[in-house]
Amino acid sequence: MYQRTRPVRRLQNRFVLVPLVLAVLVAAWNLYVALHAHGVVAGRVVEADGRPAAGATVILYERDFITQNERGRTTTGPDGGFRFNGNASHLVQLQARQGALRSARVTLRLWFRAQDARLAQPLRLGPG
Amino acid sequence: MSTLLGRQGRQTAMVACFLLPSLAVFLLYRILPLGWNVWLSFQSWSPLHPAQFIGLDNYDEMLRDDDVFWTALRNTLVFMSSAPIAIVLALGIALLVNSDLRGAAIYRTIVFLSYPLMTVAVAIIWRWMYDERGGLINFVLRRLGLVDKPLAFLQSFDLAMPSVIAADVWQVLGFHMIILLTGLQSIPPHLYEAARVDGAPAWARFWRITVPMLRPSLFLCAVIGILNSFSSFDLVYVMTNGGPGHATELLITWIYKTGFGQSRFDYAAALTVAQFALLLVLTFLAHLASGGNAGERA
Amino acid sequence: MRARGMWPRHAALLVVCAIMLVPFYWVVKTSLTGENIYAYPPRLLPQAPHLFNYVDVWYLIPFPRYLLNSVIVSLLAVGGNIVLNALAAYALTRAFPGRRWVVLLLLSCMLIPFQATIIPAYLITARLGLLNSWLGLALPMLSTIVCIFVFKAAFEAVPRSLIDAARMDGLGDLRILARVLLPLCKPAIATNVILSFIWSWNNFMWPLIVTRDPLMQTLPLGLARFLSYVEDTTGALYAFVVMVLVPGLAVFLMAQKEFMRGLTAGATKG
Repeated sequence: MYQRTRPVRRLQNRFVLVPLVLAVLVAAWNLYVALHAHGVVAGRVVEADGRPAAGATVILYERDFITQNERGRTTTGPDGGFRFNGNASHLVQLQARQGALRSARVTLRLWFRAQDARLAQPLRLGPG
Repeated sequence: MSTLLGRQGRQTAMVACFLLPSLAVFLLYRILPLGWNVWLSFQSWSPLHPAQFIGLDNYDEMLRDDDVFWTALRNTLVFMSSAPIAIVLALGIALLVNSDLRGAAIYRTIVFLSYPLMTVAVAIIWRWMYDERGGLINFVLRRLGLVDKPLAFLQSFDLAMPSVIAADVWQVLGFHMIILLTGLQSIPPHLYEAARVDGAPAWARFWRITVPMLRPSLFLCAVIGILNSFSSFDLVYVMTNGGPGHATELLITWIYKTGFGQSRFDYAAALTVAQFALLLVLTFLAHLASGGNAGERA
Repeated sequence: MRARGMWPRHAALLVVCAIMLVPFYWVVKTSLTGENIYAYPPRLLPQAPHLFNYVDVWYLIPFPRYLLNSVIVSLLAVGGNIVLNALAAYALTRAFPGRRWVVLLLLSCMLIPFQATIIPAYLITARLGLLNSWLGLALPMLSTIVCIFVFKAAFEAVPRSLIDAARMDGLGDLRILARVLLPLCKPAIATNVILSFIWSWNNFMWPLIVTRDPLMQTLPLGLARFLSYVEDTTGALYAFVVMVLVPGLAVFLMAQKEFMRGLTAGATKG
């Protein structure tokens, strides 16, 4: 006479299932983030003609809505490759410099903080 | 007999316990503030000064020296025009939806969708719609060749108020539609059939049957529209903050500014009393206009 | 014949729906657009759409904190509404001396708009020491008169004999409420949940008054604050708008029947 449905049945409605699905998705996403957040930003620098630029300086800037601050510098290896560790931002800019030559500032937008990322296109040095 | 009384006593105790939490909330945040507010309005008081009874000085200042109060009062009454506009539009939509139209439920949901939204977000949406460069409205107007230069809707003394009213109508339209739809569905269909048999044309059926039968719902919409125009703080605060100048200043935003912007709680309390009195008068007038007893039946 | 007579109605309703939906589209479009949202003429379709504005909102402003505050305050309000309203409504279904007066008191309380009492309400909250706290944010919304009447109507629809039988079995009032009435009044519970959630989720003026600490701000306040900080210059503002709207919309769409019924019930009771 008092309503006594089985507990499992009682939980099968949209007010329970939708939050449950959301919770699972959030947990999965957080797991993915935790496994891919080492703060590695890697890429390559090339000369204007496409040859790898060894010994170029690469600067990493952190951006927000108004300001941008330099967060690190590194030098490219013999193959023109570079690698930053410990990037903590989700929105960075990269610029390569060598002597008077410099590349355009490339904005790298990440899906979460410190996401491991690799530049798809190399930074291309050119005159100012 | 004694057991009966005992049960009665237990029942009363139960009722008291069950009612107490809710009543405490209402006492604390509705009734007590109302009284305190009136008391405060006769005082000179601020967080820094001890309270001092000054009689009607606050009201004197409000009525004689405060131009913004009169502007805000006028603006509030103007803003109230959003209610009739929304009600007429909502009635039209309700009549369209109220039939065995295929997809009526979908139309109803879409029209209603804007009502449960956060008003702050709605205000930002409409700021953007009205924007001079990125806004859709100016873009369409310029494309159609109706204006040469973009209109600064929310920065213009003449256009700001109508713009805010339009945004408000957009948000509350669905609510009025639902109320009127409920009213329409309670009209017995045989009335229409009888009228049709008598050869009454559609407009006569509308004026002779629909409108009189909808009176309680219309009254309800009117009252809620009036209440709404006295409490549309979020929309105005975010869209224009009462500006330009005081062109869109409502009583409620002016109360907020004097009370919490200038820390003049005493004076803001007097403004609140004036606003509440006006609200009661208008609700009573709407009650009279609806024939005195409307709202009872609904 | 009938179907042919319907198309002007469909056309009119489609126009209305377009007007209702276009602002949503415009905001979503802007939130997906890249750097310059001020370019004229604006494009009707987003160019190179991306979701990074949403990432910016999450990290560059304390969005998670606002979200936490909003969720906690909403949960408090929803919980308070279910418990307090159910108790009060149950009491109102019983006969007791002065019942008429309590109902009258509640009905007249409904006529007092909250906005008419903000100054003393603020002072009371300050005296209670609840400024800048979750409880202070939720307290005025812990019980809603409309929702009490929703519960009351639902309880009155439950057959009297069922309650009497439960009483014969020796169940107390609390048990009757929790075991007999509430399981039979799920739609009323849903109405309570959705109304109190939407109201507290969207509430702006009260949090604006009682929170000074940015860490205690709720989403609507954070949104207004972000607006004053960046003006209309970035697509992230509109991403923020969308992120704030989605939970409310989702809850509404999940329970729109209960929501509309609650509104009409509440409105017609007043």
